[in-house]
Amino acid sequence: MDISIGILSQVAFWGLYSGCIYILLATGLNLIFGVMKIVNFAHGEFLMLGTYITFFFFVITGFNPYVLLIGSVPVLIVAGIIVERLCFRPILGTGKLNEIFISLGLIYIFQNLVAMIWTDEWRSMKSPFADITIALGPLQLPLDYLIIIVVTAVILIGFYFFLQKTAIGRAIRATSQNRKGAMLMGINVEKMDMLTFGIGAGLAGAAGTLWAVSGQVFNPYMGSIPAIKGFAIIILGGLGSIPGAIVGGLAIGMVENFTAFTLGGSWKDAVSFILLIVVLVVRPTGLFGEAEE
Amino acid sequence: MKRESLFCVFLAVCLALLVLSTGCTEQQPAAQGGEVKIGVVASMTGAASTTGKDIWQSAELAAEEINAQGGVYVKELDKSVPIRLVQGDDESTREGGQKAVSKLITQDNVDIMVGGYSSAVVSAHQSIVAEYKVPYIISGGSSTSVSHRDDIDTSYMFFHRPNTDDSGEASVLFVDEIVRPAINSKFGFSQDRPLKVAVIYQDSPFGKGQLDAVKNVIKTRNMSIEVVAEEPFKMGESDFRTVLTSVKAKNPDMIYSVTFLNELVPLTQQARRDVGLNTLIMAIENNDDPDYYKGVGSYGDGQVMESRFSPYAVPKGSTEAATTQCLSNFDKKYGGFAGMMGAATYESVYIAKEAVENAGSLDKAKVKDALASLAMPQMMEIMKGGTIRFSPDFHESKFDLYVVQLSMDQASGEPRPEIVWPKILEAKEFVVPDWYTPGSS
Repeated sequence: MDISIGILSQVAFWGLYSGCIYILLATGLNLIFGVMKIVNFAHGEFLMLGTYITFFFFVITGFNPYVLLIGSVPVLIVAGIIVERLCFRPILGTGKLNEIFISLGLIYIFQNLVAMIWTDEWRSMKSPFADITIALGPLQLPLDYLIIIVVTAVILIGFYFFLQKTAIGRAIRATSQNRKGAMLMGINVEKMDMLTFGIGAGLAGAAGTLWAVSGQVFNPYMGSIPAIKGFAIIILGGLGSIPGAIVGGLAIGMVENFTAFTLGGSWKDAVSFILLIVVLVVRPTGLFGEAEE
Repeated sequence: MKRESLFCVFLAVCLALLVLSTGCTEQQPAAQGGEVKIGVVASMTGAASTTGKDIWQSAELAAEEINAQGGVYVKELDKSVPIRLVQGDDESTREGGQKAVSKLITQDNVDIMVGGYSSAVVSAHQSIVAEYKVPYIISGGSSTSVSHRDDIDTSYMFFHRPNTDDSGEASVLFVDEIVRPAINSKFGFSQDRPLKVAVIYQDSPFGKGQLDAVKNVIKTRNMSIEVVAEEPFKMGESDFRTVLTSVKAKNPDMIYSVTFLNELVPLTQQARRDVGLNTLIMAIENNDDPDYYKGVGSYGDGQVMESRFSPYAVPKGSTEAATTQCLSNFDKKYGGFAGMMGAATYESVYIAKEAVENAGSLDKAKVKDALASLAMPQMMEIMKGGTIRFSPDFHESKFDLYVVQLSMDQASGEPRPEIVWPKILEAKEFVVPDWYTPGSS
């Protein structure tokens, strides 16, 4: 095989693209865990819903799918808020087992609802830029992937400024750092929970939109594997750490793709989880996590 | 009661209703005074759900046709009885298949079973069939590791499909006879230049069986074909970019892909669109399905596929009328066409009818014996000798396979297949597509 810098760069580029999807998914998951300390196994279903909402809007409007982020993300934010209010709020603080069973139940509800509405056939959609590839030396850079990387970066920068510079962002961070302290300072933590869950679902929805736009196929059952990877990423990066989710997402994306390149596609999940185990053995709190006192 | 608690109760009820409504077994109305109960093992949910739906609908169509003609005559009852189908959703998983088959046998008490798709899934529930001794006409499970196994009693299992050796051999023969000379000729290579093939295969008994078959045929026939890459991928994969980048680095002249339908569509699109791998992709028969042509779009133009039933390329000859009729009936009932797995299951229901009538009984041992000695005229798929019969050694039926090449149909906006091999069925000559680039010489 002619392994050159060009080919390795190409694989790194695919890894960067995969990482973008993972980062958005894991950032939302980590935000929810950081603030509410709940484990939502149904988080991957928000990604799946994002693909279908995008597909639905695309079919009825014919708009550019990237523009449809403006539609799909708010729908997912509302869906997240509803789920938080109806499902997680009543059982908050009653034990992890309840959270796990609620989230497992939600997986079935979302999968079957989507299957009832859109059937469970595999679907895909075609971006208007699907046939445009930019050649950069030996690299083939499909325009869609470049846009996806830029869109992810814009979302993350916007998210950073939201958390750092706005009153609600600061309140969310305060709730994440010390829930009781935040309450004593007059922050409505239940409102923060609701907003956090909505934003987390919205980020997963954005990941779903980008998944669909990139030409990957989707069906109602496709959310489970990304959700498991999302959990692996936040454990790898450190529970509750947003920078950890970003670095973890990129790391998993890169490791998966370089593993597929060197050992074959059937190894990529195994090596990702081996990486997770190694990091946890060396640093049990994850890359950016802090030990609890 | 608090409002949240009410919401929780409401959600629990919704969940229960949804799970029950989607997981329940679909049944046709029970007939009075006896029936032939056929269990249909299909992947109604999960990774292979598109094919599973095709399997179920085709079985429904066959049962409906048979029932409309009076049903199945059972000598022991001295009357004709209708067929009643019972669905067993294997959920595209080994565990799901075990649950579905156990339920079909022990709770639904089916007389006979048809269907089965993934080799991995079928192999996981074979031991249950062996234990309960229920006749099972399997239209999938093409790996020889499924039909040639000797660790369990497979005497009640009958395989109405070519095995991986058969389809691998047909594909490689086509590549050696047609593709290699065409490429060498078009690009001015010497005629003895070996064709470099990359095999991208599902990491499953099905994929490994095909890979082994391809390598064995090349070796035993001393063909001028070189396998330059063997790239496995996980079942259900939808991101092939890195695997394709790896393959591209090995400069193949063509790709031999062993995939399910939902895997072949992204693989083909990503090869040409994202990786710029302008090479021929040869696919396997299970992908000859309307959903493939719809999904792959213009990227399917020029690609080739080994097949035994094509919804859009009906071979001329003795099977033409039956195929056209079935496709028409399917279109009327469901709007669209059956795929290859649907056709095999449709025939399997008719085979079940024939076996029960020959046995004159619903006794499972007698039906098994009738299947073993079956000699039934071919229907839609072209059989060796024009007859559906199961080999005495491994209970496998034998097919005359062919290869189609796709070209864009401007009217439908989708590619359409035409038979390019063997010569006896050829509708047009194979052409090396204009966009094709060979591997380095």
